[in-house]
Amino acid sequence: MSAVALSPARTRRSRRDRAGTYLFVLAGTLASILFLLPLAWALLRSFMPNNLVTQAPSDSDFSHLTTKNYSGLISANDILHYALNSLLVAIGTAVLTAIVATMAGYGFARFKFRGSGIVFTLVLVTLMVPFQALLTPLFLEMHSLGLTNSLFGLALFYTTFNLPFGVFVMRNTFLQIPWELSEAAAVDGASTVRTLVSVLRPLVVPGIATTVLYAFLFSWTEFVGALTFITSNNLFTLPLALLNMEYGSVGQVNFGYLEAGAVIAMIPCVLLYIGLQRFYIRGLMSGVVKG
Amino acid sequence: MILVSPAFALVGIFVLFPLGFAVYISLTNWPLIGSEHFIGGRNYSELIHDPVFIHSVLFTLLYTAIVTGPIFLVGYAMAVLVRSNRRGSVFFRTAFFLPFIVGLATESYMLLLELQPDSGAADFLLGKLGLAHANTAWTVHYGLALTAICVFVIWFASGLTMMLLMAGMQGIPQELYEAANVDGATWWQKERRITLPLLRRNIALSLIISVIGSFLAFNQFYILTEGGPGTSTQPVVMWIYEEAFVQYHLGYATAGAIALVIVVGIISASQFFLLRDEKPRRGK
Repeated sequence: MSAVALSPARTRRSRRDRAGTYLFVLAGTLASILFLLPLAWALLRSFMPNNLVTQAPSDSDFSHLTTKNYSGLISANDILHYALNSLLVAIGTAVLTAIVATMAGYGFARFKFRGSGIVFTLVLVTLMVPFQALLTPLFLEMHSLGLTNSLFGLALFYTTFNLPFGVFVMRNTFLQIPWELSEAAAVDGASTVRTLVSVLRPLVVPGIATTVLYAFLFSWTEFVGALTFITSNNLFTLPLALLNMEYGSVGQVNFGYLEAGAVIAMIPCVLLYIGLQRFYIRGLMSGVVKG
Repeated sequence: MILVSPAFALVGIFVLFPLGFAVYISLTNWPLIGSEHFIGGRNYSELIHDPVFIHSVLFTLLYTAIVTGPIFLVGYAMAVLVRSNRRGSVFFRTAFFLPFIVGLATESYMLLLELQPDSGAADFLLGKLGLAHANTAWTVHYGLALTAICVFVIWFASGLTMMLLMAGMQGIPQELYEAANVDGATWWQKERRITLPLLRRNIALSLIISVIGSFLAFNQFYILTEGGPGTSTQPVVMWIYEEAFVQYHLGYATAGAIALVIVVGIISASQFFLLRDEKPRRGK
């Protein structure tokens, strides 16, 4: 009796579920095309010879795909040099942020000391001060410290503005750790530093991965700070090198080269995000939403 | 405390000192070379009578007003689409979020080509639809440049709003929806009575992040229009940059920057009031 009563409802429900799934796939696919097509299009264009890049898309001929933009960019514009600059700054920023944020996160999570609340608040104040508005004093200060036109100076600057996020993530990471572990280590005679390094590492690595990922991507894509603090051509990061190709060159912009350069700047972001997505989302949850 | 001192040193050197220094610079006629003179509030009184600065403020507000709503709505719609863990939702999330990951500067260079007359995809697509001439030069026309950049930024930033809202949606207990189903609630009723109220904090957060991002806009305008034609598409950050590092009016530029710090600071600080939740406050 009850089975008879249930079954029409169930078929209606499963039919609705299936319709929902179709709608989900359809809407998701359409939106994905909308969001991915511009990037895929840029990738495709970067393999077109320059004389075709500068023609209307309808006349573009896709049978002549070539890597000439890339090879030309490497030989004429020395793009690998700028990519290396970007990479050095990004890795430097990531490493420095990881070290400083881990230390501070551990300190804030584990110890209460006089003024710790004030210091923590001051670190968080950084979150509220847009560095874009501090360009003039930062330029004058960094110039007198010899930190302008210096990849190291740029990395220090990036590190600072990644700290609020990093410290927050690391503090949350350390707060979630069962402290009996470190107490056991302390009883065994491990120093504070040793405890930090050996016992807690496996638990802390995901937090560090999150911090590193954010710092790297921030540094790799940052523009106005680099524009202000780096004026010497051979220290340009990728976004500045591309700007140089847009405005610096005499005569016409070589759009084939510019497109190829932009693709080179895009690839690491895409690969890192796809590879380390779970850390990124973790950071979004614990660093931004909870913060 | 030794562990937190490197962090504090960096914050001191790169945030707190520049912040105080900025206040001082803004009260002087700081030149690039030579010594500065204290001139009190003169920079500020000039600022409010400077049509170029006023325009950049109004332009930034206009730009923010245009993009904030669409970014939120598109982000919300996408969050609704991908919040459940069905097959495919991880792929869709990645697809929607990638534009944000790649960054505005890189994508602005890509867009530059597509906005060129004759060769760009913008003219081609809109030409097909009969909405534009094949030789429309987008970046040198105020209205067209603003339109293109707004569409571009909505495409860029919606993914972040989606992520922030999705995080909140996934935290809503499923039982609430099940109970609503039993009561025969429609999709819209569930969205309005359950999701929206419980998502209040995430909504506030995503709006604050989005508005601050718009206030600090620079890359897309600098790369695509260079503020032009004239200074018509010059946002505040670009005004500061140009005034300081092209005109070398460091004191004057910094006065504008202080105004920006105050405005962004107030919006940022508002989140602590808006987002204050029911949980007991963190112990001192």
